Amino acid sequence: MALLQISEPGQTTAPHQHKLAVGIDLGTTNSLVASLKSGLAETIADENGRHLLPSVVQFQGKNDQGYQTDVGHHAQQNASRDPMNTIVSVKRYMGRGLEDIKKHSIYEFVTDEASVVPRIRTIAGDVSAVEVSAEILKTLKQRSEDALGGDLTGAVITVPAYFDDAQRQATKDAAKLAGLKVLRLINEPTAAAVAYGLDTGSEGIHVIYDLGGGTFDISILKLTKGVFEVLSTAGDSALGGDDLDHLLTDWIMDQAAINEPAPGLLRRILDAARQAKEDLSQYQTSMLDIDLGDDKSWTMELSRQQFEKMIKPLIRKTLVPCRRALRDAGIESDDIQDVVMVGGSTRVPLVRQMVGEFFAIEPLVEIDPDKVVAIGAARQADVLVGNKSDEDMLLLDVTPLSLGLETMGGLAEKVIHRNTTIPVARAQEFTTFKDGQTAMAIHVVQGERELISDCRSLARFELRGIPPMVAGAARIRVTFQIDADGLLSVAASEETSGVQSSIQVKPSYGLTDTEIETMLKDSFSYAQDDIDARKLREEQVEASRVVEALNAALIEDGEKLLSFEQRTEIRQAIDELVEIAQQSNQRAIKLKIEAVDKITAEFAQRRMDASINKALAGQSVDDIE
Amino acid sequence: MSNNLKNSTADNYFSLLGLALSFDVDKTLLNHNYHEIQKSIHPDKFANASDLERRLSVQKAAQINDALETLKNPLRRSIYLLSLYDVELSDNDTSIDPAFLMEQMELRENLSEVDSKDDPLGELDDILDDVNSRIKQAITLLADLFEKLLSDQEPTADHKEESEGHLLKEAKALTLKMQFLNRLQEECLNKEEDLADQF
Repeated sequence: MALLQISEPGQTTAPHQHKLAVGIDLGTTNSLVASLKSGLAETIADENGRHLLPSVVQFQGKNDQGYQTDVGHHAQQNASRDPMNTIVSVKRYMGRGLEDIKKHSIYEFVTDEASVVPRIRTIAGDVSAVEVSAEILKTLKQRSEDALGGDLTGAVITVPAYFDDAQRQATKDAAKLAGLKVLRLINEPTAAAVAYGLDTGSEGIHVIYDLGGGTFDISILKLTKGVFEVLSTAGDSALGGDDLDHLLTDWIMDQAAINEPAPGLLRRILDAARQAKEDLSQYQTSMLDIDLGDDKSWTMELSRQQFEKMIKPLIRKTLVPCRRALRDAGIESDDIQDVVMVGGSTRVPLVRQMVGEFFAIEPLVEIDPDKVVAIGAARQADVLVGNKSDEDMLLLDVTPLSLGLETMGGLAEKVIHRNTTIPVARAQEFTTFKDGQTAMAIHVVQGERELISDCRSLARFELRGIPPMVAGAARIRVTFQIDADGLLSVAASEETSGVQSSIQVKPSYGLTDTEIETMLKDSFSYAQDDIDARKLREEQVEASRVVEALNAALIEDGEKLLSFEQRTEIRQAIDELVEIAQQSNQRAIKLKIEAVDKITAEFAQRRMDASINKALAGQSVDDIE
Repeated sequence: MSNNLKNSTADNYFSLLGLALSFDVDKTLLNHNYHEIQKSIHPDKFANASDLERRLSVQKAAQINDALETLKNPLRRSIYLLSLYDVELSDNDTSIDPAFLMEQMELRENLSEVDSKDDPLGELDDILDDVNSRIKQAITLLADLFEKLLSDQEPTADHKEESEGHLLKEAKALTLKMQFLNRLQEECLNKEEDLADQF
């Protein structure tokens, strides 16, 4: 796994050491990785000079080192020969339950009582979408480390803006399995805006229309002096180029009178449909030619006009979220400076035409719609890792879906509304229903509808350890926080007694921590690697981070914000931590870090407040244009 | 006169974002200050920091985001200012003026009848225009009320109706009214979306 570069404890790393960080676009159809090279973000090619990695994983077997797989072009070529073991478009299954993914899928899904996550049955065993995605990420990680000549410090991975919590968490889990440190999950349209905005330097309101292989996003952003502020986002996380292929596939089967094709034939029809779609972006007609097996084949000519008639309702469906995003952003079409097209599916001429008509503006297609997301992600990765290439750049994103709680009668009460800037925290108070009640269940959902059954279940939280009181006397304060990755966390405490209630999370669609841990143990990355040794190294890295941060903070603000005694106390604690971190007791290091955190929390808080005051200092209306 | 105002100097959302306590908000200054603060405390600036600093930065950034949302939105701003005076809004408030209750029912009825009209979208536009102008009017009145409340001048004996208690009561009534109008506006826009999707 990629570890942070760590210096000898007690020594600080060179201040301007360049750290290796990449941006990864984990796409439905293709994936890409990009990095910054002398100030320019570029996608990284494989040894054959190919930039796109087809998001296809062929499972071949399993041994004590984990899965044996083929990822990318080779797997794609094998898809029709070995359809059941070759997983394509796995992104559509991320964070999803069985009922969502069965449609249009040729795979055999299995579920059992031990997990809410469906598995795909392959020759190598039953695999979850998270594990399949991890194989793609491992390939990209290897490619970047070969090209950049070193271990990666971390990666920014992009997700569709409209991905819900379960889909984001699944993506992060996949990175963990692949041994990648996730610096941040960022939204694909926001990444695209970074790539465009920094190249053109244009201030104003930008619309990003992102139609990928399996997802659709629309984001409206305002760019002011390096700050990319998302005003609103909307979309459909199950609508994309794949659906155009499926429409055409259904049409072909209808025309060719094919019923219930074998998986291999279905894969060939799907491939032919995709090829025809791509051809029709350039030409007026395309010849369909499908090998039916037994030396038989079926051919027919398809015109662009016929194809457009078929797909028009689907493209129109994307305009509904566009309308909603405009409304949520509180802007009119006239306010828009430009509309940027992202995602391979925006190559379809009808898409460009209809989007252009809707916004009454000619859409921009200058940057390769396949590469633009990875390029933006690479830039953000470089900033996050501290290489200071675009120091003033800041992304302010929003949560795409409202967060609600189940109330009496199966209704959802919204706690955090969609398009709220993240990070966001909201507290809600609950009370007990019965005398002496010591536990409570909270059901968290995401979605805009009033009925719980119309929203997507995120998780059930069980609060335990509420002190027994008469009904209605307890005041349980539950805080919902969505962090900068768009991920939810929940904390609870009983207000009258100050008791910290424990929370047990049951994700509705995700892997549990135990499942991930088991997968980590089973996976190749850690096969020869002792789990304890890894934990120790990670703890040591955290210790050195704490020491470095504190030393820098003391130099900067120590005299200003602390008394002599306080400084001495902190210095002593740092020395002790350095000492303990050199030994190999992971638990002792962890405890010492917690102790240091405790005595420095106040200092950190004051520094945070001081930096706010500094940011505001000397500002007057005259300074602002 | 703002003697009943809690936290008048301490950390309220206005001072947090470097603004004077007032219902009228300079949006340019607000956005500018917000950006400057986020540039210094956003979690992206702490991606490499210790867990403690990362946690603190998420909390602080969330607080700043909440402050911005509160100050940007006239309804939330008004509710927030009232809360600084310990005045809380509740849904089943009995102090609502009966004339306004009648008005509410009428507006709602108009909205529910839109579907049966010849030109539902046109009809909806008229209702929306009406609601928007009422919201604007409420904002102007609130600005005036809060200016009086937040000014330091003691009311003269002749201006009893300008006592703090009276002004707060009026501000609360207006805020409740605006809360209703905002909901109605939301319903109109939802309706518009539904109608537009049918075409």
